[in-house]
Amino acid sequence: MTTLLWILQLALIPLLSPLAIGLTRSIKARFQNRRGASPLQPYCDLWKLLHKDEVISRDASWIFRVAPFIVFGTTLAIAASIPLLSLSTRTHTNDLLVLVGLLALETFWIALAGIDVGSPFGGFGSSRQMMLASFTEGALVLSLFALALMNSTTDLFGIAEAQSMSGHLFVVPLIVAGISFGIALLAETMRYPFDNPATHLELTMIHEAMVLEYSGPRLALMEWAAANKYLIFIALFGNLFLPFGIAAAGASLSVICISAIIFFIKALIAVFAIAALESSIAKLRIFRLPDLLFTATVLSIIAIVLAL
Amino acid sequence: MSKLSIAQKYIPKEYTVQEHGRPAQAGDVFSFAVEAHDIKNVTERLYKEHKLPLLLITATDERKISGVFKIFYIFGVPSESVFIMPYITTTKSFPSVTPTIHEAMLYERKIMSFFGLTPEGHPEPRSIILHENWPEGVYPLCKDFVWNERPAQGNAPFTFRTIKGEGIYELPVGPVHAGIIEPGHFRFHLAGEEILLLEPRLGYQHKGTEKLFETLPLDRTTALAERISGDSSFSYALLWCQTIEKLASIEVPARAQYLRTIFAELERLANHLSDIGAIMTDTGFNFGGAQGSRLREQVMRTNDRLTGSRFLRGACVFGGVSHDIDKEAAAALAEELEALRKDLQEVIDIADDTLSLYNRLKGTGVLDKKVAFDHGVVGVPLRALGVAADARVDHPYAAYDKLPATIATSEDGDVNARFRVRIDELFTSFEVIQKALEDMPEGAIASTKEVVLPKNEIAVSIVEGWRGPIVCFATTDENGAIARAAFRDPSFLNWEALGYAGAGNMVPDFPLINKSFNLSYSSNDL
Repeated sequence: MTTLLWILQLALIPLLSPLAIGLTRSIKARFQNRRGASPLQPYCDLWKLLHKDEVISRDASWIFRVAPFIVFGTTLAIAASIPLLSLSTRTHTNDLLVLVGLLALETFWIALAGIDVGSPFGGFGSSRQMMLASFTEGALVLSLFALALMNSTTDLFGIAEAQSMSGHLFVVPLIVAGISFGIALLAETMRYPFDNPATHLELTMIHEAMVLEYSGPRLALMEWAAANKYLIFIALFGNLFLPFGIAAAGASLSVICISAIIFFIKALIAVFAIAALESSIAKLRIFRLPDLLFTATVLSIIAIVLAL
Repeated sequence: MSKLSIAQKYIPKEYTVQEHGRPAQAGDVFSFAVEAHDIKNVTERLYKEHKLPLLLITATDERKISGVFKIFYIFGVPSESVFIMPYITTTKSFPSVTPTIHEAMLYERKIMSFFGLTPEGHPEPRSIILHENWPEGVYPLCKDFVWNERPAQGNAPFTFRTIKGEGIYELPVGPVHAGIIEPGHFRFHLAGEEILLLEPRLGYQHKGTEKLFETLPLDRTTALAERISGDSSFSYALLWCQTIEKLASIEVPARAQYLRTIFAELERLANHLSDIGAIMTDTGFNFGGAQGSRLREQVMRTNDRLTGSRFLRGACVFGGVSHDIDKEAAAALAEELEALRKDLQEVIDIADDTLSLYNRLKGTGVLDKKVAFDHGVVGVPLRALGVAADARVDHPYAAYDKLPATIATSEDGDVNARFRVRIDELFTSFEVIQKALEDMPEGAIASTKEVVLPKNEIAVSIVEGWRGPIVCFATTDENGAIARAAFRDPSFLNWEALGYAGAGNMVPDFPLINKSFNLSYSSNDL
């Protein structure tokens, strides 16, 4: 049973993350009166990229070559250390500071890879990414910290457990911290209003600019890592801020099935909400983004004060 | 008042006026020879005192006949359909009028690059359109240029304008872009995200179009005109046909004039719909973008049904049009356009309710009035500065003199103003087409008269394409063949102004500003 749960824990995010991206795209297409590609298209894209030849610039150093593996590996490590379907897969890396550290590591390597080749667009992407990251981190850490205070633990599994036991969904600090985390989620996963994942305009890109020089299998890893991160944040939001339905440690198979269904419904709602947001607003001007992230930081501070 | 007497108001008494154009058009081009040293004064008076818009400066190589080059300075008299055209003759250099008329700058650079004549006193005599690999001393529009052989590899230097200082860096963008668009290079000088200086470098699309007009048989030239800028196929075909009709004194039947108007407005509809969608896409408002593409596609399909070409190619022919719109088709078209208008209104209403969209559009890419006037900006960006200039009203052609003509304007000169001008023009186009469908008289759709060009004649014609006024200047030689065809697309002038509209903005806003101008590379590079 534990083996099965561990397999689920390790494989769930990388296997389903392309679907999350695909679903977001097809819901967006529907909102725009388009038919759009199948939600399974990202799998085909990854398959195609993995089988393509690569072009690597002569100016690229080892950093450019290893970055995709580190970035992808980091997202796998994060996926293994957050509560997903069941609480049985608890280990020593579940602390929220580990999560924040791993995320920072991932961001650092993407940004490094972006400037490595020396192409002007990569440099742009990296500098914008670092600006956003420095503002996002506050909101991210503090909103998680509010949860830690409310539940007297910094262990993510502990928080998820305590939250689902308490059954208090609509307490004010939780909602306030949830909003703050939601904004950080959009910034970390490079969605609207921060970045436009569908843009073809090289001068406006952030994430896409950093990976612009990649091709073939390494591009596939970068894209896949971005998809993983997207689903990781959705899972974190679902299990920490809407913490019901997660299976307790040692639960039976049927309970785990139910918890899986609830997980998918939550993820679907999140994907739908993001697609709706991306279809109904324009992207913000880049220098207005810090304002939004600052608001998120203030909200999480309020949540902490309320939680004390 | 006759056209001659109108022209005489502007032309100083001491010059002998020569009238071009046959009885059918009652002569609308008035040329007069000016001594080279006098041209500065003459043009300055026309431009500054009479406030006539400068339409084009171009040259012809007549060394075989008279041993000289001629340089023509074409001015239009708005709302009179009259063109005033002083010209000078030269063999080597000519006095630059740029110090007094700034917008002459690019025309003179083009004459320098393509005819090898030196503009004396020009502030920035750099080559234009032709790149470093073009051999020195080879001038493609001269008559002795061997057009059907590959020129030698050249190695001329090219320098961009630069700004130097601490923390300022250059960003080269293009000519290959991330999206599927035409090639063009943009050199940015940046301080962080702020654009300090932006210089477009074009010419990648140069394909010797003007030279080809001199070499192709006449019956293939309309197809060539349609390919000057694919998105303006009909406007260019119409422009070229009008020019030839003026030269050959062909009277176009009234029904054909109405049909031409309808087709021209359909082209405007398709492109403006695409543009407002693209502007919304570039702000990230994807809903609006998708609607723009959808609505444009409907117009393209209508074009296809009416003429057998989505781009209305082949629809305009010498003397008229090739496809009629019968009663049934007219009723269907009217109904379709009414549905399209309602659909568009709905999309605009949704866009108007989206604050985040206007947050991006307003105050972005403001074009300074002085800069715009100095550079002779035309078309949509000019109307977005509150100037009511539109060739459909100023130089009525086709059936525009009998149809409602509202010139859409807006005040602020920013992306939003250009966006609004396009939307207003869309609604005007709907009105014009509906009225034209109602009023269209019965009759032939093309003249049956044979096209025979006169010898040594000149014609100037103008059409309001969807970007702005397009000007054509054509001359015939001693055998009655096309000796020179020059085209001036709005893009030629507006590219230069785009650099100024971009400066002071953030880099990520540049694509949006660029889209709000939506200039053509192909018709600039020719």
